[in-house]
Formats: sequence, structure tokens, C-alpha cells
Amino acid sequence: MKEHDAFAHRTACDLTIVGAGPTGLFAAYYAGFRGLTVTVVDAQPDAGGQVAALYPAKTIHDVAGFQGVTGADLIRGLSAQAAVYEPRMVFGQNVVDIVRDEREAGLSVSLEDGSSIDTRAIVLATGVGGIRPRILPLGHGWHGRGVTYVVSEPESHVGEDIVVVGGGDTALDWAIQLTPIARSVTVVHRRRLFRAHASQISRAEALGVTLLTESEIQAIHGDDFVRAVVVRDGSGSEREIPADTVIGALGLITAPSPFSAWGLELQDRKLLVDSAMQTNVRGVFAAGDASTYPGKVALMVTGFGEAATAVNNAAVLIDPDLSLFPGHSTDEDLEPPESVPSSEAVPAGRDA
Amino acid sequence: MTYVIGKECIDAQDMSCIDVCPVDCIYEGARKTYINPAECIDCGACELACPEVAIFPARKAKGKAEWETFTADNAAFFTLPLPGLAGPLGDPGGAAGLGKVDADTPLVAAWAE
Repeated sequence: MKEHDAFAHRTACDLTIVGAGPTGLFAAYYAGFRGLTVTVVDAQPDAGGQVAALYPAKTIHDVAGFQGVTGADLIRGLSAQAAVYEPRMVFGQNVVDIVRDEREAGLSVSLEDGSSIDTRAIVLATGVGGIRPRILPLGHGWHGRGVTYVVSEPESHVGEDIVVVGGGDTALDWAIQLTPIARSVTVVHRRRLFRAHASQISRAEALGVTLLTESEIQAIHGDDFVRAVVVRDGSGSEREIPADTVIGALGLITAPSPFSAWGLELQDRKLLVDSAMQTNVRGVFAAGDASTYPGKVALMVTGFGEAATAVNNAAVLIDPDLSLFPGHSTDEDLEPPESVPSSEAVPAGRDA
Repeated sequence: MTYVIGKECIDAQDMSCIDVCPVDCIYEGARKTYINPAECIDCGACELACPEVAIFPARKAKGKAEWETFTADNAAFFTLPLPGLAGPLGDPGGAAGLGKVDADTPLVAAWAE
């Protein structure tokens, strides 16, 4: 733990929602509707979870009321719906611990930056887990010393020898973006074919990017920083390539949350919940793909219903004077949201 | 539900699917790769990545004999005791840790076309 952690700030709210995917966003809306103060925490820099990270452009056909809606449009709609009640959104933070304080009958959620949230109830809407860049097999120990997984400031790579590892659009996009300012750019891909669009591949070649297929990094050499990589090609021959920066573009991978360590009961790696969507820990609820129960159907639409069940039960737990049934949303005197999904509904039967 | 790798993968094994799978549930056999149906989250990233157009969602296999066969065969890779292995693979929870499995299902091992 870092030294300043003892002074790290604490915040408080009625309900903390972990995960800003479709289920978490809808839970945030419902909690706002119930008059609860809400904090939403997500490891990603933006809302949308799996939908935004893995298939934003795909058309989803089984959301009630939509013949077809793209992942990106659905997340836009859910975000706008939740934003009506102004939940506090905390992005780019993993939850590292959940602690139940029996004396104060409350819960505390610890985040990786050392801050914590005092809360009366929690809804875990963590889906398939945190979504992170896949780590380079030899990258451990070099992270921050020349190995990176994002290009956030291209200008910091001026004059460098750069090696990009990967074969998809991201790898080629970064190579093309950096070539005009770098001394050299080499893309190393372990497969025979690139996944990136053919047009991107020809563009990279025209710009002078070196494209190596059936090749893998065998070693990273350097001192305080990366200086070179050793690449082995399909024939087994090895050569050293100078490298100031090695960029991993190996796609995204999910990382399961450490639920067991938080005392939560699991079944087949999912959180086991009762008919109120409550886990074995009082005040800790789960909804969406993170949860399971007999007869569970893991779909986004069931996640929406589970979010409503979890939040309304949490509301009663927080304030026993409240009724479980929330009343009808039609009674709320709200302005219609500004950003309803913008795309036209597509005809049924189109491929998702 | 799950996605399934069909016959087009046999002896082609481009393995781009393995690179894009966000849950590392695609396993490399001797002649073909296989998706673990218990670990697949149905995201479809592999289908788009496959240059052989070998991958389809299991929900579209109904009524198509070949796809139904390969849907069952993908599952069988994890439930059958494969040649040279002590027991069934089961659900290892990630292919990277396991590495290449130097075996195939009987259907794929005997495949000739």
C-alpha cells in the first residue's frame, strides 16, 4: 500500500454499483429512481463493459422494444438514462476489497488508488470480469520501462525505434500513426496472416513499416529501459531489432474478480444469489452475467430485470420504510432523455 | 451458448481466433482448434477474426447436419478422453496455461477430404 493511503479520501453513498456495463448502468438508473445516492465504479475508462469493448458495432436483436440496436447505441441510451439521476461515476478503478462493518451495519468498498466508499449496499454487475489488454508473454517486469499497451501520447515516441506486437487493426493503426515521427516501426505478428484490413496493411507497407509474420519475440534486451528485441521467424532464425518502445497490441482479455477473497459464495465461477439477487453476504447483491441461480439465462435482457430486482431489494434493506415495489416510472415527472439511440431500427432477421 | 469451429479449420489452423478470444477459451489441437462451450461467453470476436470462415454460433447450427456434428465435436474435445491424455480436458479455464494439445477428437483425427 502506498504511503498516502492512510489519508486517501473516503466518500459515502447509499448504493455502490460495480461495473458500468448494461446491467450496471440500468441498476444506476433504477437506484436513482428509488432516490438512492449512487456511485458506479468501473475498471475501464468508459461505460459499456463487454458490449462497448468487444462488439460496439454489432446489432443486438433481443433487447425488448428494439428490433435491432447496435451495442454502441444501446450503451449511449443506458448512459443517458442513468445520468438523469446524476450518479457519481468512477472510471479506471478496480475494486480491491469489500469489507462488511458489523458495528456500523454498513459496507466499505476499497479502490486501487487507496480511496474507499462507505456504502449501505452493493450491486456487483461485473459481468465476465475486468477487461484489460493481453500482456506480452515477455513483457512482465518491463512495463513502464519501454513496454506499453496504449499509445496515449504519440509525441513521446519521436525518433524512436518502435516494435508493435500483434496482427489486428489496433496494431496496424498504431504502426501507421507512429511511422511519420518514429525512426523505425516494425510490426511482429505470430500468425501467417494479419487480421487487420487489407487497406491498412498496404498503407503501412507504403509508409515503410516493416511487417513480420510468423514471427515471435524471443527476448527483450535492455538496462533501465528496453533497448532491443530478439525476433524469431517461422524458419527458426533469430535476429535482434533495436527497440526503444515495445507496444503490445494483443487484444483484450477478461480478468475475473477476486470474489472468493471477499467472502462471497461462488458456483461455476459466478456469484450465487437468492431470489432477491442477494449473495451470501448481507447487503451485497449481484446481477447480470456475474450472477447465477437455478434456471439462470445469461442474457443482457435478464440482466436488466435482475438489476431492477437487486436495486429494489437493496432499497428496502437501506431503508426498511420503503416498499419493495418502486411505483411506476410513468409517475415520475422527468424530461425525456436527450439521446435516445440514434440509429434507425433495423429489420428483424438481420445477422447479429 | 457458444461459438463453434467447423471443418474449414482442419489442417488450416490459422489461430487468429486464439489471439482475439477475450476469455482464452479456444484450445489448439493437433489438426484443428476447438472452443470450450462452458467457457465461451458468446461474444463472436473469433467469428470475425477467422480467415477460413470456419466459425459459427451454435444457435445457428440447428437443422444443419454438418454444423450440428461440429457443435457436438467441439464439446467432445473437452469431455472425451483424448488419445495420449490421462483423462478428459474438462474446463481448464484458459488455453494459454495449457499450451498445444497434441491430439484431436476421433472425428477430426480421421478426417480426410
